[in-house]
Amino acid sequence: MSSEQARSAARAAVQPAPKRATRHRLRAQLERMGLHALLGLTVLVMSAPLAWMLLSSLKPDQENAAYPPSILPHTWTLQNYRLLFTLSDFGTYLRNSCIVAGVVTVLTIVIGVNAAYALSRFRFRWLNVLAGVALFAYTIPPILLLVPIARTITSLKMGNSLPALILIDTATLLPFALWVLRSYFNGLVIEIEQAAMIDGCTRFGAFVRVALPQAVPGIISTSIFTFNAAWSEYLFAATLTVSPSKLTLSPGMALLLDQTGVYSWGLLMAGAVVMTLPVLVLFTIIQRRLVNGLSEGSVTG
Amino acid sequence: MRRPNAKPRYRKGLSDGWLALLLILPAALLLAVFSIYPFLQAAFDSLFRIPLVTRQSTFVGLANYAEVFQDESVRRAFGRSLIWTVSNIVVQTSLGLLIALLLNTRLYGRTLARGLVLFPYMIPAIVVATVFRFTFNDITGIASYLWLKLPGVHEPIYFLSQPNTALVTVTIVNCWKYTPFIVIVLLARLQTVPRDLYEAAQIDGAGRLALLWYVTLPWLLPVLTVALLLRTIWTVNDFDVIYLLAFGGPLDATTTLPLEIRRLAFSHQDLGLASALAVLVALGISVIALAYLWLYRRSEARLHER
Repeated sequence: MSSEQARSAARAAVQPAPKRATRHRLRAQLERMGLHALLGLTVLVMSAPLAWMLLSSLKPDQENAAYPPSILPHTWTLQNYRLLFTLSDFGTYLRNSCIVAGVVTVLTIVIGVNAAYALSRFRFRWLNVLAGVALFAYTIPPILLLVPIARTITSLKMGNSLPALILIDTATLLPFALWVLRSYFNGLVIEIEQAAMIDGCTRFGAFVRVALPQAVPGIISTSIFTFNAAWSEYLFAATLTVSPSKLTLSPGMALLLDQTGVYSWGLLMAGAVVMTLPVLVLFTIIQRRLVNGLSEGSVTG
Repeated sequence: MRRPNAKPRYRKGLSDGWLALLLILPAALLLAVFSIYPFLQAAFDSLFRIPLVTRQSTFVGLANYAEVFQDESVRRAFGRSLIWTVSNIVVQTSLGLLIALLLNTRLYGRTLARGLVLFPYMIPAIVVATVFRFTFNDITGIASYLWLKLPGVHEPIYFLSQPNTALVTVTIVNCWKYTPFIVIVLLARLQTVPRDLYEAAQIDGAGRLALLWYVTLPWLLPVLTVALLLRTIWTVNDFDVIYLLAFGGPLDATTTLPLEIRRLAFSHQDLGLASALAVLVALGISVIALAYLWLYRRSEARLHER
């Protein structure tokens, strides 16, 4: 029996009687309702904390301290946001974080793309060693590097400065970028580059003019993840920056959090919302790709 | 014009070796200065007794390692790290798998639901800590309020300020943030299950559970293994969420190994001892990573056998 015959025979065998069909449909409908309820519950649990953050940031202080708490604000107010920027140094933290995360992303991508291309296209033994070292660097606990790095930075007289933080963030985020970008280049067809070289491109020209444009989607995803990681980074930022004018958002918010006696929960929630906004924008850009493409490259590559 | 049989002549640029070196040099330098050198420095430090203030180091050989193994608080931190890592991985994997399967079903509002469910993964640790310290606040927190509203509950829970609940609370928060990672990875893989695998199994009379067990899960397994490898490394090393949410307390109840390393370095003020523990943790993680890679190869091989 051919497989086609087998398939139609199987289909005929499972063809249900009319009565069974109604019951079957009823069961399927009930099941779909159950699944929708489950989906709703999942969404509720996952997004409730963020909804709570947003709502609380729009409530006046008395309401945030009130018991029992109210879900929706009785009085809607932007007072918390105004105080956040006038009362605390949040504006400075925000500016520093933009600088650090922006520069780190550009550096990581430029350095990472070049290195990843080399790792993907050239076959030298010393390159393999380097790839292994990069993977190993990814498994080193950041806390282990903290003290020696702090010492190096002090001896370079770069303590309490944004450039030092930028260099370290770039170095710690590089292995991930290398890994994703390399698997991305591995997935590109090499023949087009070879054709370009036959047509008179240098190897470097083939890289810049042929491979690079094809890698743009991978580069965008990697940039977003790098930016997000630099934007969120706490450990090195908290250790290396000291004076309020040099703090980024993570240590800055931690400082405000320790002074909740001075500031209010409403103000802190406003800070949390502002810090989340850029992340939300990036997430909206990347969401589709997140499910369809990037994780495949980054995880199976 | 080129003769048809002529060897293609490439335009001369840099030789491949030099080009590769130039392309890789900045990355190599950064990794050397800020990853490899500090690692070696820490390994070197672990052989000395180094009080934080004076920095007068005395060579003690492997004494720090012996001390780490005997230290009672390190042992307890190890126990906590074990509980922390295993419970996080188990919860995130099982919930992640269920949610991925749910989000892969054709349901209304699926696209929006995906976005809302995956978003927490991108939220910075400090924002997570701020929001949940507010939510789990002993006096005004909404979690305490809702808990007391539950039928039959009369005793309040002080989620973050009681030693016996703090680690559980931090684990729940961490799972909220990181389960989406597992979902993302599995969801992408679910969309590539070959149709004919399903059809073949259906012809063999497989029910839905059997399809899940014999087709879907084996197909997910290799990717899941790699995702778990990353999640395990990050969970063992995780510092931000625990520290910002609970500072390792109350009464050290959330002091896992990374926080213990920090305590040894800054409160106990001995860099040598802290480095020894850190080196041991790094080695331990490498062993776990190798185990996962072995599992990965095996699951891949099984998949291709069929």
